[in-house]
Amino acid sequence: MLGLAGMESSDAELVTRVLHGDVNAYGALVSRYRDRYARYAVHMLGNREDAEEALQDAFTRAYRSLARCEEPERFGAWLFRILVNRCRTSGARRVRRGQTFVHDEGALLNASEEHPAEQTMWREEIERAVGELSADQREAFLLKYVEELGYDEMSEITGVGVSALKMRVMRACDRLRILLKEVHSG
Amino acid sequence: MAEWGRTTLEMFVEELQRPVRLDESFDRRVMVKVRRLYAAQRPRGVRAVFAAIAGVSRRPAWAAALAASVVAVASVGIFRARALQPNAGATRLEPVTFVYVNKTARSVSVVGDFNNWGVGDTALVATNHQGVWSVKAPVATGLHRYAFVVDGKEWVADPSALRAPSDDFGLPSSMLVVEDASK
Amino acid sequence: MSNRKMRGMMVVMALAGSTVASANAQDPRMPLKIDAPSRAAIQAILDSAAAQGLPEAPLREKFLEGYSRGIEGPKIVAVVRALAVDMAIAHRQLGALASSDEIKAAASAVHAGVPAVELGKIKKQGGLRHSLTLPFTVLTDIVTRGVPVGAAVNAVKSMVGAGAKDKEITDFQRGVAGDIDKGAPPEAAAETRAKSATPEKKPEKPEGSQIDG
Repeated sequence: MLGLAGMESSDAELVTRVLHGDVNAYGALVSRYRDRYARYAVHMLGNREDAEEALQDAFTRAYRSLARCEEPERFGAWLFRILVNRCRTSGARRVRRGQTFVHDEGALLNASEEHPAEQTMWREEIERAVGELSADQREAFLLKYVEELGYDEMSEITGVGVSALKMRVMRACDRLRILLKEVHSG
Repeated sequence: MAEWGRTTLEMFVEELQRPVRLDESFDRRVMVKVRRLYAAQRPRGVRAVFAAIAGVSRRPAWAAALAASVVAVASVGIFRARALQPNAGATRLEPVTFVYVNKTARSVSVVGDFNNWGVGDTALVATNHQGVWSVKAPVATGLHRYAFVVDGKEWVADPSALRAPSDDFGLPSSMLVVEDASK
Repeated sequence: MSNRKMRGMMVVMALAGSTVASANAQDPRMPLKIDAPSRAAIQAILDSAAAQGLPEAPLREKFLEGYSRGIEGPKIVAVVRALAVDMAIAHRQLGALASSDEIKAAASAVHAGVPAVELGKIKKQGGLRHSLTLPFTVLTDIVTRGVPVGAAVNAVKSMVGAGAKDKEITDFQRGVAGDIDKGAPPEAAAETRAKSATPEKKPEKPEGSQIDG
């Protein structure tokens, strides 16, 4: 589906091609950001099914709004903002449905072959601990430590002030510290 | 944070940073949708234009402009062509800043006929701790209706904008006239 | 009967049959498939609008608005049909050279309760004014805020007749809205603000400028 030329092009070039009618160029953007952003969606939403749905929706929304992408060279950041927003509404829907946070089945299946049982338990505990955080704290923690964004970038993406984000990250860390201590002591 | 053992933090984050791989069927599913949207953007007369809208719900603005121009050409005689003429050049985009104040909102987006009413497509950003949300978006010159969507579900009118008449859909909306700044 | 008249009759017939079905708004993010009869009805309205020389963009936008808000098909049909009727009424008053935005703005005013004939009078007052989109939109706004239709029309008509620019009309609207928010009677707010916003170089015409509220 994706040509080599598409894989080597910059985001801005691909966006321009899509806007000029080369719909296949969008496939290169999908391939480029699929896995990179799937991780955030999986950890944020807690299961692969919801994550794929959110990511798919983010890609189609981005396509529909592509003409309004003001900085095509930063397509990835723009797409990520759409995804973060989409995950928030997904999170709200999950709460309304009364579902619980579940671990990433796919990640568990890919667990390391070294001490697989122990590794699987560790992963499960990590996913459970992340799921114990409030949505705000989870979002802030993932953006800061997993996606390794600066607070200014996080603020731009989430629309939340830097101080509030720092507070959320701190509280997330406090909560995780307690949860992980429980795991180790248990 | 400092009390938290560095090893534990590293292990924890390291685990979360492991790549999550989606197979290529994901790309195919996305591109099937995208191609449908693309096909819907290629108008073939008035009927085809509507069918496209009804089938996929929203299209990029550039496609709408293209569709409008094609419809104008394909329309029924000089009477209609003249009616459309004053708007024929109305595709110029002007930056418009939307501002909404809500201290308790978790997300705010603006929807309107300039973004085909796509919820979440144009998100506002909270610029400070006072609940002031804003976004600067390019909007075509002309008259538009719009609303804010709070937390993805609550539709509200812009309290500082021109009011639209009591909405037939039972939900509030506002009006905006974007003028060509070059004139 | 000429072809044009016959076509007009067909349009009226197509637009007249209104089947308003009640529908409550659902979660607006939930995709809602438009049922086939509603799609056919919308298509018929679009075809009728095209035949009548009406711009289709406002109708498409209204359809998308309803669709995005999760409204059910029959309700969307009813609303789009009502808009088409309002646009047709407005179009008759504004003439063939009216822009899509002017027709859209005028249709909103009609929807808000402004008699279409008054829009025609405002247009005459406007003379060679480049666009009546903003005056019509402001008219709709102040009527929606509670200014009686007669007072609102007179205020906008006097400003347009005196050659007020869009910025002056915008300032007028802000003034009226602010005064009403502070507790002023809407009618008094409109009259007072119109006097201060109307340029003095063109005094208000005494004849044909008053209507019954």
